Amino acid sequence: MPRIIRFLVIVAAWLGGLPAQAKITVVATIPDLAEFARRIGGDAVEVTSLATGVENIHSVPMKPSFAVLLNRADMVVLLGLEAEHAFLPALLEASRNPRIQRDTPGYIDCSKYVTVLDVPTRIDRALGDLHPMGNPHYNLDPVAMKAAAQAIAEGFARNHPEHESTFQTNVSALQADLDAQVARWTRKAAPLKGKTLVSYHPDFIYFADRFGMNVFGTIEIRAGIDPTPGYTEELIERMRRAKVDFVVRELYYPATLAETIAQQTGARLLETANMVGGVPAAKDYVGLIDYNLQLFLMALQSRP
Amino acid sequence: MGFSLRDCQPRHTGVAMCLGLILSGSGALGQTVEDLRRDLQAMKAQLQQLQEKMKQQENLIEKLSAQAGGPAAAAAPGTTMPPAGAAPEVAAPSSAPAPEQEQLERRVTENILRKIQPTLSAATRTFPSQFNPALSLALDTVGSYKENRGANFEFRSAELGLFASVDPFARGYAYFNGTNSGVEVEEAAIVTTSLPYNLTAKGGRFFADFGRLSKWHDHDLPFVDRPTVLDKFVGGESQADGVEVNYLTPLQQYVTLTLGAYNKIGADNRQTDNATGRPFSQFTYLVRPSTFINLTDANGIDLGGALAYTPKVETFAFDTGVQAGNGAARYLGGLDLTYRYTPLSQALYRKFIWGTEVLYNSEDWNVEDTTTPAFRRADAFGLYSYVEARLARRYGSGFLFDYEQALNRQSGDTTTYSPYFSIWFSEYQRLRLQYTYLTEPGDHESQFFVQWTGVLGSHAHGFRDR
Repeated sequence: MPRIIRFLVIVAAWLGGLPAQAKITVVATIPDLAEFARRIGGDAVEVTSLATGVENIHSVPMKPSFAVLLNRADMVVLLGLEAEHAFLPALLEASRNPRIQRDTPGYIDCSKYVTVLDVPTRIDRALGDLHPMGNPHYNLDPVAMKAAAQAIAEGFARNHPEHESTFQTNVSALQADLDAQVARWTRKAAPLKGKTLVSYHPDFIYFADRFGMNVFGTIEIRAGIDPTPGYTEELIERMRRAKVDFVVRELYYPATLAETIAQQTGARLLETANMVGGVPAAKDYVGLIDYNLQLFLMALQSRP
Repeated sequence: MGFSLRDCQPRHTGVAMCLGLILSGSGALGQTVEDLRRDLQAMKAQLQQLQEKMKQQENLIEKLSAQAGGPAAAAAPGTTMPPAGAAPEVAAPSSAPAPEQEQLERRVTENILRKIQPTLSAATRTFPSQFNPALSLALDTVGSYKENRGANFEFRSAELGLFASVDPFARGYAYFNGTNSGVEVEEAAIVTTSLPYNLTAKGGRFFADFGRLSKWHDHDLPFVDRPTVLDKFVGGESQADGVEVNYLTPLQQYVTLTLGAYNKIGADNRQTDNATGRPFSQFTYLVRPSTFINLTDANGIDLGGALAYTPKVETFAFDTGVQAGNGAARYLGGLDLTYRYTPLSQALYRKFIWGTEVLYNSEDWNVEDTTTPAFRRADAFGLYSYVEARLARRYGSGFLFDYEQALNRQSGDTTTYSPYFSIWFSEYQRLRLQYTYLTEPGDHESQFFVQWTGVLGSHAHGFRDR
């Protein structure tokens, strides 16, 4: 290669900010998936999360700096089921990275093997801000996250078959860890079996289903539609009659209304984290599930 | 300040006819879509039944494995089997399974896959309409009362949007806008999706990358009307027929550069007729760098500059007979800054935004009449600045200040002050109340607006309109 061309290639690589021995660059949409991606990818990957964990997945800001991160990414890892529709499609377009556009090999949709709950039988905005492919908040179900891990490992291997055995070994270890934790959580959550809850948004159905609880309803009239005073009154009345056990307020929803509903119905109020990093105690995935389970159990033991 | 003034441009009746064909065919299409929806729902129900069956089968495998004394090798509840055609994959067991167990697993898997294969094939079968573009319809209507002009209900816009991929290399989109004046093609462009070196090229009719709010559709604006400085200096929306190339630099900092060439910029710009040819010196050329400064997780600033250069503006006349252009160049420059505060954990409920654009125009104007024209260079300056705070999930209020000098500097300045209040019933429906105090040469006026906007159909959060 002529010397001048070699020089220009080196300058271009320097401008791109790439180290000499580049790791596989992965961008995950939420910290839960970022943690799994790190565990599965090991030393071969460098992972960044777009969300920090405190956000509502439906309102992660669409920052141009995210477009730069995605522009450099070899793969993007996402929950799927349109969970990230408020920010990811536009950012992928702005990133101009053909390797990670929708349905390319670098687009790793972790919902691939998840048994999806709450699939709507009718798609109509009159029913609120529906997710047409089903409820996407499966990151709160550790068994569904085992399936997500499988999708991540597969996606990594598809793009980098030279590391397939490493990815497979790591995902097996991760899934074995999760199996052990699920067994522990299932024993710990035994007192919650049959209990009922109302959450602000329908994002606790996977958690409830996993640990034997029933979702009575939501504070939102419909997904994404804030309650009216009339609806709230009616909800309180129904909750009283049904003796609902818990009111779940995800930390990014307003406190006052949830507190009022809990007071007026006698249900115990819990303020949950919905992603890794949502609260300091939820510094990893095990910590997230532990934190939320502990909240439920402490609330059960406390006076209403 | 008033409504966006659109001169009566020649309307393309062919577009209206095409729209009529699309809408008249929607009866037959709607029926087919209904049938398809029903079929899909039936298939979804069948799939769910099959998934339950698979769960039962997996539990059986676990039971049999336990009886056989081997480790549980089946996937745990909550997972689904890989789709047909893919090698079935399960989590690796902690020790090697017995051969009989492996055989049993294989037989069960094959049995299940055989049973669900027809349903899976049906689900992936293509329908003729599957390649149809996504559709959206934005409806925008305004009621107004202006002190000196009276009241009016203005049907502002029914804007039909279509978007789809063209092929692996490009996507296309179009907006057809129906207003009081007729139907026009507001935008229709092809955009590349796979050019190398972080390049994107766009060609057709689109909103040129000048400034910030000139690129927004009317119904998306943060206030009822576009700031008059943009109406006067840019010509309303920065609609342009031409070609544009955008480059995302390989820096760690987000920096983009746009270069464009167009017949003209501005939907209401009368300098050039899109239908007739002209020398290259009468095209308008644009350069725009922009960047984003991430101050903290919750604070950021978008910053941009733009220069639209027309080497030669030939003489043209407004409806009033006023002439402009004498072959001299026109320079239209702008600086735009947008500051956002979005607390990450409260982004649905709390936001603050400050947006400002400063514009500068320099061109020759005829300061006499058509029989004895006398052209003089006029440099004019204008700006708008607004602040908006989201007070709750569904309420927000703001204030807009708008100032511009007359482009030909032959008359006084125009200023508006506009407080406004928005109510979002949902992400797709909004009510807005706005008061505007307008001061223009020889006149001042109080204006009241109520705007009601709704969006139907496919919904995508755009990067341009964030």
